Amino acid sequence: MRLSAQQEALERYLATGDSAIPPGLLEQIQGSNTLPATDGLMIYHNAYRARLLGVMREDFPALHRWMGDESFEQLALAYISAWPPRHFSLRWLGEKLPEFIRGYVAEPQRSPMLELATLEWTFTLAFDAPDAVPLSLDVMGGFSADDWVSLRACLIPSVCWLQLQHNTVDMWKSAKAEIGIPDAVVLSAPMNCLVWRHKLVCQYRTLEPSEASALRLLTDGGSFASMCEYLLSTHGEQSPLQAAIWLKSWISDGLLVRTCRIGTSDTIFLN
Amino acid sequence: MSKSNMLGFGLGLRSEYYQQILEQRPAVDWFEIISENYMVGGGKALYFLDAIKEQYPLVMHGVSLSIGGPHEIDADYLRQLKNLADRVQPRWVADHLCWSRGSAHQLHDLLPLPFTQESLLHVASRVRLVQDILQRPLVLENVSAYVQWKTSCMSESQFLAELSSLTGCEILLDVNNVYVSSRNQGFDPWQFIMELPRERIRQIHLAGHSDYGHYLIDTHDQPIAGPVWALYGEALNYLGATATLIERDDHFPPFDELLAELSKARSISAKVLGAAAPCV
Repeated sequence: MRLSAQQEALERYLATGDSAIPPGLLEQIQGSNTLPATDGLMIYHNAYRARLLGVMREDFPALHRWMGDESFEQLALAYISAWPPRHFSLRWLGEKLPEFIRGYVAEPQRSPMLELATLEWTFTLAFDAPDAVPLSLDVMGGFSADDWVSLRACLIPSVCWLQLQHNTVDMWKSAKAEIGIPDAVVLSAPMNCLVWRHKLVCQYRTLEPSEASALRLLTDGGSFASMCEYLLSTHGEQSPLQAAIWLKSWISDGLLVRTCRIGTSDTIFLN
Repeated sequence: MSKSNMLGFGLGLRSEYYQQILEQRPAVDWFEIISENYMVGGGKALYFLDAIKEQYPLVMHGVSLSIGGPHEIDADYLRQLKNLADRVQPRWVADHLCWSRGSAHQLHDLLPLPFTQESLLHVASRVRLVQDILQRPLVLENVSAYVQWKTSCMSESQFLAELSSLTGCEILLDVNNVYVSSRNQGFDPWQFIMELPRERIRQIHLAGHSDYGHYLIDTHDQPIAGPVWALYGEALNYLGATATLIERDDHFPPFDELLAELSKARSISAKVLGAAAPCV
């Protein structure tokens, strides 16, 4: 048997869930007195699954805790079978789990599971997303009047913005605190939730609808003045004050990168 | 191979110890990184990598090159590996003599090759390609194995010697892997080492394993076992001063315990080689 055929036989054995060793593979393998060929092959077979399951448990700890060992393992094995690892780094193994849940799980479990898996995956994404130098209060302290007029900002690269229909954040917090996880319930209105990395640590925060709209306006290219104008209808003459409070909060949280208009293109200040 | 690159005694760099390393500057001659852990956009891993490389020499050690795989070498992986090497400026770049990716799946294991002429030519052509891109010799490590292919017509150490002769690649001798495979497959670990071209051995690995009675698993989650220490001493007697690294990948002990193992490696080296041949 040629090298490529030998490797294909072993690959097929490892990647399928069936632990029965195909005779064609077994006849290629030399065991020893201490470790027969069947036992040696089983070590590789078991290690493949154990390694992948370990990564899934590590990347989705809240989902694991909510579902329990048995159900989570069943889900993870079905997922691995449908989406076997294709990236050289195990860091990407769980990337398609939310998508898999969408097609694999029936309601009423589907939606809250999908949201919890998505929330957990965004933390993985934020953890090692590209670095950026966020706009700081120190820098803004030195702003001239022209700087305020020309100020444009976007979200730093690690930010994931989620709109959650369920009490997913509460479920996640309870799982993280290792206390009883509340039942999944549908919220009366969608909740905006940001996940990002600040000073090497992953963060999250929820936003009230008006704050979310203001942040969306600013990071879609709006100016500080346009944000104040937008808030007039809800905050009246307090709108500049409210805009300043929120802006300070976003900057303290390290959420924004200043963009600077040079010619016709925007430049993002990155490390 | 010049001994001017002899780095002394190092530890695997793991995130569990980042803070301690920067705060305490422990007496470790060098650190070895798992290359793939730093092929990321940003964040904690790259932050500490940049800080620690200012203080210590680094070596890159990969697990995903799949130098013996049936697929084409992953161009994106190689590009990222080269970028990382440009950033880290490592003393050398290592991976394993194995395959870890099949034609359709990443298998995320260090799978053994059949040691045949066909495999030798296959791996040699890929080593040359990688070396051309990295612009440096590749260092390849013997792996722990739980099976052998019946078609093998030479030992793993003979294969490594032939491969090194054909391509100029260098060898990372993992003494624990030799011991684990020798117990599982019933060969003489000392003969394995003697079959390696000592002038091509760039580095030694030491690690712990789990003993299941009639077989061993290379788990890197235990202290280094007595027979592995003994084999290390014999290997040094044959090789002379050789850069030595201790790997720990799970059940992480207090950092002082790893430093104590490193001291033991220094002592064995000093005893075997004599005070006149220091390993630093």
